[in-house]
Amino acid sequence: MELLLWAIILLVVLIVVILLLVFWGIYNRIIRSENRIDNAWAQIDVQLKRRADLIPNLMESVKGYMKHERGTLESVTNARAAIMSAKSPQEANNANNMLTGALKTLFAVAESYPDLKANQNFLQLQDELTHTEDKISFARQHFNDSVLSYNNTIETFPGNFFAHRMGKKAREMLQIPEASREVPKVAF
Amino acid sequence: MDKQMLLEDHIRKNKLDTVLICMFMVVLLFSVIFAIGYILGLPPIFAMAIGLPISLLYLGVTYSFSVQSVIAASGARPANPQVREEKLLINKVEEMSIAAGLPMPTVYVQDSHDINAFATGKKPEKAIICATTGAIQKLNSEELEGVIGHEMSHIQNRDILVATVTVAVVGTIALLAEIAIRSLFFGGGRGNKRDNGGAIILIIALVFIILAPIFSRLTYLAISRRREYLADANGAYLTRNPEGLALALEKIKNDLPDDPKGSKTVASLYIANPFKREIRNSIWSTHPPLDERIRRLRSM
Repeated sequence: MELLLWAIILLVVLIVVILLLVFWGIYNRIIRSENRIDNAWAQIDVQLKRRADLIPNLMESVKGYMKHERGTLESVTNARAAIMSAKSPQEANNANNMLTGALKTLFAVAESYPDLKANQNFLQLQDELTHTEDKISFARQHFNDSVLSYNNTIETFPGNFFAHRMGKKAREMLQIPEASREVPKVAF
Repeated sequence: MDKQMLLEDHIRKNKLDTVLICMFMVVLLFSVIFAIGYILGLPPIFAMAIGLPISLLYLGVTYSFSVQSVIAASGARPANPQVREEKLLINKVEEMSIAAGLPMPTVYVQDSHDINAFATGKKPEKAIICATTGAIQKLNSEELEGVIGHEMSHIQNRDILVATVTVAVVGTIALLAEIAIRSLFFGGGRGNKRDNGGAIILIIALVFIILAPIFSRLTYLAISRRREYLADANGAYLTRNPEGLALALEKIKNDLPDDPKGSKTVASLYIANPFKREIRNSIWSTHPPLDERIRRLRSM
């Protein structure tokens, strides 16, 4: 009889320990994937800033050639200003899409300026800007991947059980424009 | 979204398979140690006490020197950002590391006309990605991105660790089997004092030890092929463009191998075996056949 009692106590202790370990694991997983989202956002921010920093140089190098394209140049400058003053992820994201559009127009217009196209400095900036644009779209993709995996963790069993008590709510993904999902084609 | 879930399922299934195969490797290693102990007439605990330290030492040495030896064997050099082509390679690696949420690996270039690439480094924090000059020159941006995405996935899945450890286990088993067979030749063991039943078990143990190195090698190759499929699927998930890698693999298939450099023991680290082109499905290959990989990528 006494043996049975001990066996039951041992079993209960074992179950409690296992439950604690499971709780520990899930808790850490939730916190870790939350941190990953924050870090992923910081990454986008870094790339957005870097891209915005490249714009003044670009303006400097095209200014002399594209005197008659004031509208195009202004829309680039305005989009850059919008990135610098953005307050939320979605706002910065929208401003960045604006900049992408404005730059696309600028590079298309540049096609009709042979002198500009032969300028080494301009070519280098164009490479650099394309690269930053790619980095931004992959950083956004990673952000959304991180949000998806976080949401899956806290919305499926057993994560949902704990997430509810921890007051964790599903995060929102960034809306990515269709165009940026296409693979950028740079010939080299 | 549907497409992504499909890819994630691929990845999950492949991971599970690898775990099972790795467990099989460990069981195999332990069985070999016990079998040797039995043949030499040692008690199991004694066999473990001798066998495990030998295995761990061998594993440790192989493991510690793996990265240097891979780089040295390939003759690779760090990429030069002043050269436009190599700068574009560095850019691709940076983009893929951002997509995977991993630290930026060091980028190397290997002078070779072949289209190939490999990743090495035991931890994602100290990873290296190396591409051949052939790959940089012959692949377009989309294809190169596919290849780099594949290599980045090897880093993300810690495949280099898996490959290094399995290669080391294969080596350990071969080493132990060699020791056992040699010591039997020199008259060790307790074979003479046995009755009939014991003799049968002894023969089984002996056959097992002779076959174990082959078994372990086949298991290692099976793991290697699994990890390639996994890296293809995961790489496509990073680039969101399976076609890029499919096109690159097609170019590799149609590009004849030329002056392979490097050591054969690390052939499994490359995106395609640098020593031969896999055409048929074979249990002796480090990589799955290119056609099958292309077919799977296109069905994603």
